[in-house]
Amino acid sequence: MARAKPKLIKERVPTPEVPVEERVRSFVEVNLGYDFASALKEAERCIQCPPEYAPCIKGCPVHINIPGFIRALRENPDNPDEAVKNALRVIWNDNTLPAVTGRVCPQEEQCEAPCVMGKVGEPINIGKLERFVADYARKHGIEEALLREFMGGNGGMKGKVAVVGSGPAGLTCAGELAKMGYKVTIFEALHKPGGVLIYGIPEFRLPKEILEKEIAKLRELGVEIKLDYIVGKTVTLEELLEEYDAVFIGTGAGTPKLLNIPGILLDRIYTANEFLTRINLMKAYLFPEYDEPIAIGKKTIVIGAGNTAMDAARSALRLGTEVTIAYRRGREDMTARIEEIQHAEEEGVKFEFFVNPVEFIGDENGKVKAVKFEKMRPLDERDSRGKRKIVGTGEYITLEADTVIIAIGLEPNRIISEEATGLKTNSDGTLVVDENLMTSIPGVFAGGDAIRGEATVILAMGDGKKAAKAIHNYIQAKKANA
Amino acid sequence: MGYKITKKENLSAIDFFMEVEAPHIARSWKVGQFVVLIPDEKGERVPMSVYYADDGRIGMFLRRHGITTFKLWYEFDVGDEILSITGPLGKPIDVKYYGNVVFVSDAVCAQAESYATLKAMKEVGNYTIAIQTFENAANVYPEKYLAKPVADEHYLTTEDGSVGIKGHYLDVLKELIEKDKVDIVFGGGKLGSLKKLAELTRPYGIPTIVTVRQIMVDGTGMCGSCRVLYDGEIKFACRDGPMMDAHKIDWDDAIKRNARFAEQEKIARERYLAKLREKGVI
Ligand SMILES: Cc1cc2nc3c(=O)[nH]c(=O)nc-3n(C[C@H](O)[C@H](O)[C@H](O)COP(=O)(O)OP(=O)(O)OC[C@H]3O[C@@H](n4cnc5c(N)ncnc54)[C@H](O)[C@@H]3O)c2cc1C
Ligand SMILES: Cc1cc2nc3c(=O)[nH]c(=O)nc-3n(C[C@H](O)[C@H](O)[C@H](O)COP(=O)(O)OP(=O)(O)OC[C@H]3O[C@@H](n4cnc5c(N)ncnc54)[C@H](O)[C@@H]3O)c2cc1C
Ligand code: SF4
Ligand code: FES
Repeated sequence: MARAKPKLIKERVPTPEVPVEERVRSFVEVNLGYDFASALKEAERCIQCPPEYAPCIKGCPVHINIPGFIRALRENPDNPDEAVKNALRVIWNDNTLPAVTGRVCPQEEQCEAPCVMGKVGEPINIGKLERFVADYARKHGIEEALLREFMGGNGGMKGKVAVVGSGPAGLTCAGELAKMGYKVTIFEALHKPGGVLIYGIPEFRLPKEILEKEIAKLRELGVEIKLDYIVGKTVTLEELLEEYDAVFIGTGAGTPKLLNIPGILLDRIYTANEFLTRINLMKAYLFPEYDEPIAIGKKTIVIGAGNTAMDAARSALRLGTEVTIAYRRGREDMTARIEEIQHAEEEGVKFEFFVNPVEFIGDENGKVKAVKFEKMRPLDERDSRGKRKIVGTGEYITLEADTVIIAIGLEPNRIISEEATGLKTNSDGTLVVDENLMTSIPGVFAGGDAIRGEATVILAMGDGKKAAKAIHNYIQAKKANA
Repeated sequence: MGYKITKKENLSAIDFFMEVEAPHIARSWKVGQFVVLIPDEKGERVPMSVYYADDGRIGMFLRRHGITTFKLWYEFDVGDEILSITGPLGKPIDVKYYGNVVFVSDAVCAQAESYATLKAMKEVGNYTIAIQTFENAANVYPEKYLAKPVADEHYLTTEDGSVGIKGHYLDVLKELIEKDKVDIVFGGGKLGSLKKLAELTRPYGIPTIVTVRQIMVDGTGMCGSCRVLYDGEIKFACRDGPMMDAHKIDWDDAIKRNARFAEQEKIARERYLAKLREKGVI
């Protein structure tokens, strides 16, 4: 007799969100995530593809055992603590910041894109399940117990490693090395750790409290974090190499690209980095309760279409201005996560496509009052990244704006490469590394945006992890030969 | 965590001196570089020039300008800790033999730099000249805080003539140039004066290197807040400066950009002063 096939549930179990009217004036987190019952329901939809085949695993840049953690979650329906602990153990094997990645990864392009369930209905909501596991574990004190399990450490006796930068790449590299038994010190230029996660991504997407807890876990693992320390200025790379067995550079891509067009120095034209740093790191949205000011008008134009542009646009909206995102390509070429684009639309951000800024126009006080754009036309040809090529039409439009935020991209800063002469860079400032992520200086490794230009949180973490293994091999080989 | 204040002293009607324990910065600071400090959790990041870096400590001159510097003056005493101090930031200046080196200054940050720069310049054999301008007698620093000990010639001017020479550094400098004894000018202070300084030295072809003071956030080249037009190109004052060729800066734009947050600064300052009045501090 044929066994009854389990019924496929085509629709996702939704996650609740803060209503639009409530959230557009506040920085509270928009998505509220699953509770255990709804997470279980969503987990039940997974058909448990065998791990050697599971397309979701292949789609994940760090190959989290997704069917494995989903199975663990559903195996103990009556004991949520146990279920979450087992699921978290599976995730931590590959990713120690699930509360972050569950919130900011572009799942729709990674694990969820090839999910088999996506062929018959909606793919499994992997991101929200990952986030649920992390959030539940944090709230119920499950992480501490698991952390002890993961500590194979021997009090830093294996060697000493310096990590430069406390973004996702640096944090991951430091965590992995600490777990292996290394003494790790992170050097961070800013006064708070986290990299883009602290100064770039707003509270309504990634609450600071969650990030702080993630970083506290590292400190528990014995990682020391030296803030206000700029490698290349406060201390040189050479000095670090004298004191440490190896160095990991995870300095990210923090230098904003500017538009080289007339009017760029006008008042109230911000780079997204300045705007977001004032708001996120310095809490300018709470001015004058906090001292950091921000000046903003009634009509804001954000130039760009990535996550940075969405974050800037939605932050500006919350400060009480009208916002239009202006992009030189079309809707389908926007690089931001779908969820962020949808949230931006729901919240009332407007979009102008196929417009390329050519001039900022100022008023008599030197403040911006409008932006002149050339209208662009898409061609059938595609460029190397698969985006449709565009050409100028020679037609222009002018849009009024009393605030402009430029979010057209970032490149790596050259603080270290300018100081450490032996460190090779590519023309765009990214560091040259070999297949083990070692730079041109022996014992110095690098990863994340510092080698990729702009990438993603999970890719930076993947690099951090890969570098940690390579650093371990390097130090042990050196010690064996000594 | 935190950085201890080790000395604090009033300098004049508006400026004060503060020394902070910051061994990480003191060991690597070089003339021309600055620091960024944050008083407390709610504070902002403010750039400051360095008067000296010595024995693990950083000496600074601060002007009671607005909320941050008021806070540091009224709420922080010797023994207290500030939240953060980062540095050294920016590029050092080229300390070498030039001949007759003049440092001109007419505001707080430049008074600190005057001492630091001329000290270094004198050590490598330059003939050093300081011209320090203050608005009036009440603003003049005690003698030990002037650049006198490191200057072969020292001129003190006040704009109202209440002490020293009546006039501005521009007037004294003009005379010195005409006497043909200036090989290079360094300087800092009010941006409006720096614009005039650039115009004064340009026709003589005298190299003129000054602090391009701009509103900063990170101070490392990450935010673009401090951007200026330099020789027709966009440069970041924190990363490519802060000491830059005065003849290449578009001063009108730099002056405008430095007033960007005037409205917000006023709100913060008024609110803070009201709080102090309420508490009976002032
Ligand atoms: C606004 C914004 C939104 C984004 N949204 C997403 C998203 O939703 N999903 C996603 O996957 N990706 C997103 N990204 C991209 C993602 O944040 C980055 O790819 C990722 O943070 C890179 O990590 P990293 O560790 O390489 O560097 P970073 O996060 O940039 O961290 C680098 C750290 O190094 C420090 N540093 C730099 N130089 C020095 C030095 N010389 N000495 C000491 N410290 C130094 C910096 O201060 C910083 O803290 C976003 C980026 C931005 C800007
Ligand atoms: C390289 C450099 C060196 C400096 N050195 C000194 C110094 O030695 N002593 C000193 O008193 N001041 C110095 N400044 C200026 C100092 O940063 C400001 O005085 C300080 O930010 C004032 O903050 P506030 O809240 O007290 O006053 P506010 O009311 O906020 O500002 C008063 C004025 O300070 C300037 N300013 C405000 N915020 C900033 C900022 N984040 N970055 C730069 N300028 C700002 C503006 O011109 C403003 O009009 C320096 C600035 C730079 C760029
Ligand atoms: S591809 Fe989708 S259905 Fe298959 S294991 Fe992964 S999440 Fe489950
Ligand atoms: S202060 Fe941010 S780039 Fe100079």
